[in-house]
Amino acid sequence: MRIAMLGWEFPPFISGGLGVHCFELTKALCEKGAQIDFFMPVSGKKISSPHKGLRIVEVAKTVLKPYMFFSKTGKRAGYGKNLVNAVKEYWSHCISSVLAYSQENRYDIIHAHDWLASRAGIELKQKLSIPLVQTFHSTEFDRTSWPWQYILDIERSATENADLIIAVSKRTGDQVERLGAQKQRIRVVYNGVDREKFSSSQVEKLGSFRKKRKIVLFLGRLTEQKGPVQFLHAAKRVLAKEPDTLFVIAGKGELLPLLINMSLGMGISKNVRFLGYIPDEEQRKIYKVADVYVMPSTSEPFGITALEAMSSGVPVIISKTSGVAEIVKSAIKVDFWDINSMADKILALLKYRPLAKTMAGMSLGEAGKWTWERTAAETLKVYEEAINSRKSNN
Amino acid sequence: MRLSLFSMFSDNGDSGGAYFDKDLNSKIMQKVAEKCYIPANQLMLELLENHPDFKISYSLTGVFIEQCKQFAPQVLESFASLAKTGKVEFLSETYYHSLSYLFSDKDEFLEQIKLHSKEISSFAKPSKVFRNTEAMFSNDIAYLVERLGYEGILAEGLEHILGWRSPNYLYTVNGCEKIKALLRHFKLSDDIGYRFSAKWWNEHPLTADKYARWLSTLQGDCVNIFMDYETFGEHHWKDTGIFEFLRHLPTEVEKHKDLRFATPTELVKNIGPRDDIDVPNLTSWADMERDTSAWLGNEMQKNAFSELEALGEKVKEAKHDGLMRTWRMLGNSDHFYYMCTKSLSDQDVHNYFSPYDSPFDAYINYMNILNDFREKIGKV
Repeated sequence: MRIAMLGWEFPPFISGGLGVHCFELTKALCEKGAQIDFFMPVSGKKISSPHKGLRIVEVAKTVLKPYMFFSKTGKRAGYGKNLVNAVKEYWSHCISSVLAYSQENRYDIIHAHDWLASRAGIELKQKLSIPLVQTFHSTEFDRTSWPWQYILDIERSATENADLIIAVSKRTGDQVERLGAQKQRIRVVYNGVDREKFSSSQVEKLGSFRKKRKIVLFLGRLTEQKGPVQFLHAAKRVLAKEPDTLFVIAGKGELLPLLINMSLGMGISKNVRFLGYIPDEEQRKIYKVADVYVMPSTSEPFGITALEAMSSGVPVIISKTSGVAEIVKSAIKVDFWDINSMADKILALLKYRPLAKTMAGMSLGEAGKWTWERTAAETLKVYEEAINSRKSNN
Repeated sequence: MRLSLFSMFSDNGDSGGAYFDKDLNSKIMQKVAEKCYIPANQLMLELLENHPDFKISYSLTGVFIEQCKQFAPQVLESFASLAKTGKVEFLSETYYHSLSYLFSDKDEFLEQIKLHSKEISSFAKPSKVFRNTEAMFSNDIAYLVERLGYEGILAEGLEHILGWRSPNYLYTVNGCEKIKALLRHFKLSDDIGYRFSAKWWNEHPLTADKYARWLSTLQGDCVNIFMDYETFGEHHWKDTGIFEFLRHLPTEVEKHKDLRFATPTELVKNIGPRDDIDVPNLTSWADMERDTSAWLGNEMQKNAFSELEALGEKVKEAKHDGLMRTWRMLGNSDHFYYMCTKSLSDQDVHNYFSPYDSPFDAYINYMNILNDFREKIGKV
């Protein structure tokens, strides 16, 4: 099968789960014999194809910022003034590029990831007369409490024009329905994890901060959606009972200054360590030294990090409002707003060894079931369904 | 007996420091009383009046009787009326629905049996047949209860105990003198208890005449049909026809000359043993494994149980009735059942009955309470 895949993140140029998804999905699809051209904005990092059967095509010169960010003064800056223009430019480059490549390569299907690629996908579907599959890794409703109508409109038109829609969880599927999609065109395909990558990672000396202290880890963009504020509130409560605990916050984002100020104001700054953005290799190590991984997201379409922590043998506490909570059993699930319960569960994992041990063992086993091979197989099924239903309609 | 949600933080939770959720327990009791205990007891009374040869046996814990007294006194009254017919037997068991046999010191187990006999004798004649919590059984258990004077003991009729033999006979037990084991016919019991309303079952719908026919084709001296009382009206709701099934069963059974009803005590008095069974390892009627893994299968369960056991010494030393009672209530098998992490279909059953989001939440809540309790003992 020949696939034109339109995305905007690919390792090493990633800011979240989408990049991981594209890397692992294309890898597993290629292993199944698919041929993929992956069209993405110029990353400035010169990405070479890591998989046989995959060709990376960098099409436009803009570096897109998909998430809401804040200006240096800490003032809300929205998506930035130039975003609309940048996206439009990406679309037009993407379209002409795919059309050019399709001269030598007759594609069977177009697969677009998220709203940034969707308009290009729609136009290409019409020009090439082949089916379009649109994946939603999140919707505007997840990314911000102040959804932007411009993006909502793009997402809505994506749901109207795609032959089939892939949502990374049931809850994302619900959000896509909220955008106006017909339920019968939505397919849920969960993300996966490369367990070996995390379970086999060797931990070397981990710097000075470990010192026998128990470590509670947060890893994610420092943005409202990921719940780092709740994490700090829970930390404050835990520290009242276990003053020796270290709370590690890995990731960058617009809330960083606020979080630092908060930890100072709460008088817990000695027990909170901000690591900033950490690369892949470091991430695997930090999971390994953590005693508890907390994912307190207020809205998490999936939450790959939970599977990564589980693969590392770390017990996880995850928010009930996450896609991954739909599929894992060996996690403790909390309401993101229930700081007291979150603190209680963290404390329990720090104090009750049989609990941590049982969960860690079960987590390893369970994470092994959610392979990317599985994700790719289900994605292929969606491709085939889209292609076959178009054939039978013609 | 449900526990309160109990946090490690004293300012957290609505329990007000109580370990047991009285409101919830009262609600559950009243709900089940309405759906099951009251209508089922009423029906049993009618059947006993209309069918002189009909008989029935119950196994009620002391804690259940307490809860009746506290939350639904009319239920206890109706059990007392059943007892007065003289055709109803109340089996002996431990006062608490406990795993007390699993403590290494057996005194607590024996003590709880005595407490139960005392409670039952307030409205019924104590039985000579014993049933351990969740039908836990082994040679050693049979030996212990025989020394207390029991003549019969109930066990699950498992193939690995019986081999080619049938559960429809009484058996003596290896290492014991005379005590007879009554083996539950789990297939025929589960046909009512589990499968009665199962539409996927090829025998659905189960009617009283069909069931009586099955019974009459059996070979042997007796057949032991035991199930949760909540089968009637709670596990299978009224609209499944479960009460109608029960109402017609005595009539249908009476149509077969080779069948009649008997209480366990009548069986052990009138029927001789056919052979000897040897059960060195504990069996029960729980889960697919039919052993103790439903309560003590994983590390959390083993840890919680051993911590509870360790507190027993201190509780006894404190000589404080309130503490002793709390400790015993914390030995209820359900608390451990909710911590089970088995993955297959059994897990779903555990989840169905569990008030917790996960087995981990169950363990955390239990340990939070146990740790608070430990501090309390220290202060006395």
